[in-house]
Amino acid sequence: MAAILEVDHLQKYYGVRGSVTRAINDLSFTVDRGEFVGIMGASGSGKTTLLNCIATIDAPTAGRIAVEGKEITRLKSRELSRFRRERLGFVFQDANLLDTLTAFENIALALTIQKVPAAQVEPRVKETARLLDISECLNKYPYQLSGGQRQRTAAARAIITNPALILADEPTGALDSKSARLLLDRFEVLNREMQATILMVTHDAFTASYCRRILFIKDGRPFTELIRGDQGRKEFFNKIIEVVTILGGDSGDVL
Amino acid sequence: MFSKLALKNVVRSVRDYSVYFLTLTFGVCIFYVFNSMDAQYVMDALRSSRSNIIEVLVTLIDVLSAFVSVVLGFLILYANRFMIRRRKRELGTYLLLGMDGGLVSGLLLLETLLIGLFSLGAGLALGVVLSQFISILTAGLFQITLTEFYFVFSLKAVLKTALYFGVIFLVVMFFNSFTVSRQKLIDLLHAHRENQDLKLKSVRASLVMFLAGAALLAIAYTMLLRRGILTIDTLFFVMLGLGSLGTLLFFRSLSGFLLKLCQSAKGMYYRGLNMFILRQFNSRINSTYVSMTVICLMLLLAIGITACSIGLNNTISSITDGTAPYDVTVQFLSSGGTPAPDLERWLAEDGFDPAEELGDYLVYQSGWAELDRVGEDLPVTVHVLFQSDCDRLLELQGREPLRLGENEYGLLLGTLQEPEDNPVYETRPVLEINESALLPGPTDRAVLQTGAETGEWYVVLPDWASDIPLFGVEWNLVGNYAPGADAQGANDRLAEAVRQLVPREEQEIYDGYVYGWATKLDIYEQTMGSKIIVLFLGIYLGIVFLLCSAAVLALQQLSQAADNQERYAVLTRLGVEERMRDRSVYVQVFLAFFAPLALAVVHAAVGMTSANEAIAVVGKVDSAASSAVTAVFILVVYGAYFLATCLGSRRIVRGK
Repeated sequence: MAAILEVDHLQKYYGVRGSVTRAINDLSFTVDRGEFVGIMGASGSGKTTLLNCIATIDAPTAGRIAVEGKEITRLKSRELSRFRRERLGFVFQDANLLDTLTAFENIALALTIQKVPAAQVEPRVKETARLLDISECLNKYPYQLSGGQRQRTAAARAIITNPALILADEPTGALDSKSARLLLDRFEVLNREMQATILMVTHDAFTASYCRRILFIKDGRPFTELIRGDQGRKEFFNKIIEVVTILGGDSGDVL
Repeated sequence: MFSKLALKNVVRSVRDYSVYFLTLTFGVCIFYVFNSMDAQYVMDALRSSRSNIIEVLVTLIDVLSAFVSVVLGFLILYANRFMIRRRKRELGTYLLLGMDGGLVSGLLLLETLLIGLFSLGAGLALGVVLSQFISILTAGLFQITLTEFYFVFSLKAVLKTALYFGVIFLVVMFFNSFTVSRQKLIDLLHAHRENQDLKLKSVRASLVMFLAGAALLAIAYTMLLRRGILTIDTLFFVMLGLGSLGTLLFFRSLSGFLLKLCQSAKGMYYRGLNMFILRQFNSRINSTYVSMTVICLMLLLAIGITACSIGLNNTISSITDGTAPYDVTVQFLSSGGTPAPDLERWLAEDGFDPAEELGDYLVYQSGWAELDRVGEDLPVTVHVLFQSDCDRLLELQGREPLRLGENEYGLLLGTLQEPEDNPVYETRPVLEINESALLPGPTDRAVLQTGAETGEWYVVLPDWASDIPLFGVEWNLVGNYAPGADAQGANDRLAEAVRQLVPREEQEIYDGYVYGWATKLDIYEQTMGSKIIVLFLGIYLGIVFLLCSAAVLALQQLSQAADNQERYAVLTRLGVEERMRDRSVYVQVFLAFFAPLALAVVHAAVGMTSANEAIAVVGKVDSAASSAVTAVFILVVYGAYFLATCLGSRRIVRGK
């Protein structure tokens, strides 16, 4: 399968000479089309920095990131905007919806800024909403939605443009377990039915157990990799717990 | 530590709310400049002349300043409330950290005091500098050359400004402490999460409101145009009320109306950030429609006052030219039957010899007579003048003589628009003098004496009728200075000579006499005085209102930009280009600034049409020119605030 994302000897240092923090220290991996990959690690292990670099929100110190073979570390500001708009989809911990727009309009906005013809907007939004099971609440404002509905609206906004890669940063962080399960179910559906490529950062073992493959990082370096294969989710979950324990993550995070 | 915190907060506020501080400083500055008016050099010069213009101007400025201070007070309270609202979370943190409620109030008190002192000082300094420029400007208006630098400074105005603004800041201080002590900690901490509920959702509600607003405005406009602007009675206030309510409804429904309009045009709505911009505008309207209305009405006042005062100013100038046809006029009135006074000799004896001082001059007689009309029982009392005098007077003005036939009488009308209450002009009767008939002959328009009313009119009789009995006889001397003569010096000599015109030994002959005199220069000075009153007061009020509206708008937009920062961060993550985001900011600021301006211009156009009719009674207002001047003035001030707000909002939204 073709590699959607290639991360090659990535480094990201913070701070000035004398007190340098190596947030990411020589990290390499690839994600293929249609994969559902999780990235795990304790707090401060560099997960979010990695995601920010891939999302082009932050620039790496050294190394190379390519999406669909195109090196994004070399893009200029306008090309970056265009890249984010057309090739990436984001789901954040707090849904990051625009509170002045209805759920429908929030999803539609991802299309209108790509200058998609107006006639296509409504059918596409409705189709995506059906997929994420939010058809009933399209005309509500974000503050009228539950946390789970908000996250699924954000997910709808992320996938409606058919991005090459969906980046999710702790998407279940602010959800109760039922809503989290609902959202992750939808991620699985998207991954299976739409062949959406998803890269999800989390420190929650339960959330991670929905992924097909998990990369563990520690202190900015790759630690190990788990592949779900044919295992059930429960087995996979137990394996994740084992790795987390070795990693020395605080057990509080696990439960 | 406590005062250090206050000082730090002030410095930060100055940076964050530069528009607020500029406005505060500018308000103090304007207040000082106009209240120090009587310290101007020109005012000293004017005070020495005969008019009491200065006293009038100073009194009017006093009265207006009380009003202006109330307006500025409200502006400052409003802006202050804005700052407090944006700082609620910070204040909540102080309380959470265990700072005493009274201490937090004290902190705010100290901050307001510092801010007040700072802006008062800056404003006064700016005002003193500005009044030096005003000094040069007014001197130019009066054609006075300042031979040496004259430093304009008025301690009285400084103290007055300090007092007025001191009271305003005191009110603000107590208002702040009150606001904070009343708040619950939880509300302060969660202030930024307050959601505006979008009440206006149905298309019908905003459509009905929009139509109702338009109807109310139409009614108010019709009333204004029908009734004119000067009929001030109960209906006048009803009209004002209807107009204001209509404006309010218009702004209340505008965003909803626009939103629904665009939503029905999907191609328009689902394009770029249009959806976002309209929703933003609509979500804000609940908190902004009242201020938009107030701003619209303030702008209306600013436009109307400035335009009318500049227009009236031009009108007064042209009237002045019309009322001073000669450099000098001396007039001697007595009841009929006295011998002709020897004006030339009298003046010469007292130091003003007309033959030397004046290049061209003439002495003539006019008076009042009862004339019989053919076919009418009652005689008509008219002001009469004889043909040869009339022709010489017109010649002195460089005009064609009135060509009277042998048995004709002429009419010399004033320069006023329409001759009023003039039975001879209206009916053109055949007159009868010494049993011969006089037919109506040619008419002309002219003012014959310097300082005369523009409505003064004469019947011009042939010279052979000069023996008819006159009562209220006037002996006039009119003339022009020789080219290059020192008019000011000659005027002073004339004033001295006229002080006692009739020599003592001849006083008994002329029992019951009156005399007067006028010079072109005096007339200029006098009308210049009223010109300056109109111009200064108009501009004073105009600037204050404009400043207030622009400042309120700017503050609102900047504060909204700060609220929008997170929304724009989301847009950035979604991949909206910077150019597109900037455009969205500009469009929002533009809507906020130009919706009120557009309606205010419409209001002002209607209002000025009505006002023109009122002013036209005195003279024609040059409305095209004054509108242009006003437009430039408003564009400069308002446009500057608009640009500053655009740039400021962009900076905030970009998060730099």
